[in-house]
Amino acid sequence: MVRFLRAILIFQLAGIVFSNLCLSSEDTFPSKPITVIVPFAAGGGSDVFVRIFQDSIRRNKLCPQPIVVKNISGAGGTIGSRTAREAEPDGHTILCLHDGIYTAQHYGNADWGPADFEPIAATGQSGVVIAVSENSPFPSLTELIDESILRPYQLVFGTNLGAPNHYSAMFLQKGKEGSKFRFTQTGGGAKRLAQLKGGHVDVTGFSISEYEQFKAAGIRALAVMSEEREPAYPNLPTAKEQGVNAEHGLMQFWWAPRGTPPDRIAYLENLLRRAMNTETIRERLDFLHINPLFIVGDELKKTVEQRSANLNGIIIEKPTSLPPLHWLVLGMTIICGAFVLMERKKA
Amino acid sequence: MIALFSDPLILGLVLLGTTLGITVGGIPGLTGTMLIALTLPFTFSMQPVEGLVLLVAMYVGAVSGGLISATLLRMPGTPAAVMTTLDGYPMANSGRPGRALGLGMGASLVGGIISWFALWQLSEPMADWSTKLGPFELFSLVILALALLAGVGESTRARGLLAGSLGVLVAMPGMHPATGELRWTMEFTSMNEGFRLIPVLIGMFAIGKILDDILGKAEKVEKVTGKDSAWIPLSDWKKHFVNLIRSSGIGTLIGILPGVGANIGSLAAYVTAKRASKNADEFGKGSEEGIVASESANNATVGGALIPLIALGIPGSVIGAVLLGALIVHGLQPGPLLFRQNPEAVHAIIGTVLVANLMMFLIMLICARWMAKLSLIPKNILFPAVTLCCVWGAYALNGLWFDVIVMFVFGLLGCLMERSKLPLAAFVIGFVLAPVAEENLCAGLMASGGSYIPLLTRPISLCLLVLAGCLLLWKKKESANKA
Repeated sequence: MVRFLRAILIFQLAGIVFSNLCLSSEDTFPSKPITVIVPFAAGGGSDVFVRIFQDSIRRNKLCPQPIVVKNISGAGGTIGSRTAREAEPDGHTILCLHDGIYTAQHYGNADWGPADFEPIAATGQSGVVIAVSENSPFPSLTELIDESILRPYQLVFGTNLGAPNHYSAMFLQKGKEGSKFRFTQTGGGAKRLAQLKGGHVDVTGFSISEYEQFKAAGIRALAVMSEEREPAYPNLPTAKEQGVNAEHGLMQFWWAPRGTPPDRIAYLENLLRRAMNTETIRERLDFLHINPLFIVGDELKKTVEQRSANLNGIIIEKPTSLPPLHWLVLGMTIICGAFVLMERKKA
Repeated sequence: MIALFSDPLILGLVLLGTTLGITVGGIPGLTGTMLIALTLPFTFSMQPVEGLVLLVAMYVGAVSGGLISATLLRMPGTPAAVMTTLDGYPMANSGRPGRALGLGMGASLVGGIISWFALWQLSEPMADWSTKLGPFELFSLVILALALLAGVGESTRARGLLAGSLGVLVAMPGMHPATGELRWTMEFTSMNEGFRLIPVLIGMFAIGKILDDILGKAEKVEKVTGKDSAWIPLSDWKKHFVNLIRSSGIGTLIGILPGVGANIGSLAAYVTAKRASKNADEFGKGSEEGIVASESANNATVGGALIPLIALGIPGSVIGAVLLGALIVHGLQPGPLLFRQNPEAVHAIIGTVLVANLMMFLIMLICARWMAKLSLIPKNILFPAVTLCCVWGAYALNGLWFDVIVMFVFGLLGCLMERSKLPLAAFVIGFVLAPVAEENLCAGLMASGGSYIPLLTRPISLCLLVLAGCLLLWKKKESANKA
């Protein structure tokens, strides 16, 4: 009997504790898993970057709720960023997106931009390397840029049009008066490598970690577009050192939908700060050659404004007129349809 | 390498991966890409080699598994099995499902092993060669593939071309593949990416089939009956020897090219086999050669796609791109350095292709009888289950309901096309190839300053275009003879 009563008591106690837990979890943040939207496919650079944070937060038990990564890829990141913008601003859905958030708006592919989000933190910067094929005639960036002034629009620059990588190239060209490249679409890093190696483009840009991965495949770096030389490549001069006044890099930002309460932003900011201070993240970012900077608060706001403003000086030129393939295809479909109808009448 | 595969854990992972791959590949609506993308996060806690072994085994299994539903239900479980439906189903329907499956399995094994050999021997030199293909060459290559399209299926050329150009048309809305500008999106952000391949494919082939059946009238997918053996004697394989080697070679070569996957590989091998065959009339009506060509080539693309992935870090297929991510997550840098820095990872990938192909063959051979029962599941259970898988598959891809709606719309379109006798395969291939062609043509034009001349002055491009022209002319002659 005593044992039985004791059992009931324990049950009741457990019940009270449990209901308390439930109550307290309703008014504390986070009360459910935090979803981080990655607007690129699983396995890409941004995905790997976010998963490093996810892994570290889980391993070091920094958050009572799990972090869930949701890949919503497509259209240069704009589909994912729109989904994040329209999410409930309660801090349970956030976005991780690099400079693509500025370039998509500037290029005209999104009518929303950084102003539609509350920045939480910037947690890493990766340098941009300007590279040529190993048998390229240009020994340095100075010679390359001089050639592009001497023969404007002749050197082919492989880029991913509308993406930050395209803007790096445009910043480079803006860095010295009269320099003009012919920009062509070559897609992601691996495609740019193949085109560079095959001699189909004269020059292209890579992030430091892409360059690290590709450098043994027969390419040569001319410059890094960072403010100072990269610690991993102390012998690689910056663009500025070679007389080209250009600076660009890829910074990773975490965004919350506009209207997210400031105390929740502060919580997320703190979570990212604690994750950033763990050994695991330092090691992994170091391996990917991502500079582990950490910017929050007013300085972050200033950085966001400045990076937006930097793009204003860029004018997009479209020198080559391309055939209106979509209309041609529509015409072709109608003609084929007519043929099929004729065939049907005959039969 | 032998030491690695004597570890029971590694062997168990290969078995698990291959079985899951076959299962997912056999269910229309679920694809290998999806399985691998969903498994990727689970491999983070594994050793890099273990994770890679599991993922590569899934890749092999998924490409192979598609042949079961393609043969028994005329629903390609994966895009790679589209061509197998053309002959596998008619043969199974004529009372020989065992033989159809047996041919497919054996051809898959041979294709897998030949491409494994290529992967093992040729990784570095072949990947180096593929960089010679610039935008103009790739565009010409797609034109060649589209010229091959004219020979697909049994319907008339006008219908084939209409279906193909409809596919190209549907690929147009969304972001311009070269300039990144938006077109035909009707100010609707979900349309920025256009229609995605997976929902379109699931819709056309799975939902369309189901709608067609529910609405009645349509030519029904008859229940496949027959209990013949799936074991094909060695003497039977002798007459397919040339076809096997040729189709595996084509599959491997096409697998190497970035962005062109198993579906194009099996298409090219199928059409080539048809051209070379003495019994070309039987193609599309249950030809043994057709099954052998399609299945050996689609398995061969796996080895092919891994060649540039390992050697240069350039994925040759969508799954290759996910695997590339897996390598990087595990701190391995694909590229020539991988051979020196992490030889165990290279050996694991190459070895898995061989071991998983052998296991795939054994699993499918042992389970053939059981798998043949797939077609006996009553439709009131199968269809809701497949529809659920389809909805989940389309949604899980990106977590967007828009994709699910797209899937149902294309289901309706697929059903309508089927009824107007427009070939679905031509539609899908046009849809897949359009962005590749457009991106490369535009990239080439941007690089040449708007001049089309390099299409004819670059030797590889010229060869490919001449070949495409010959194929079209050859076709004309053929139809003239018939008339």
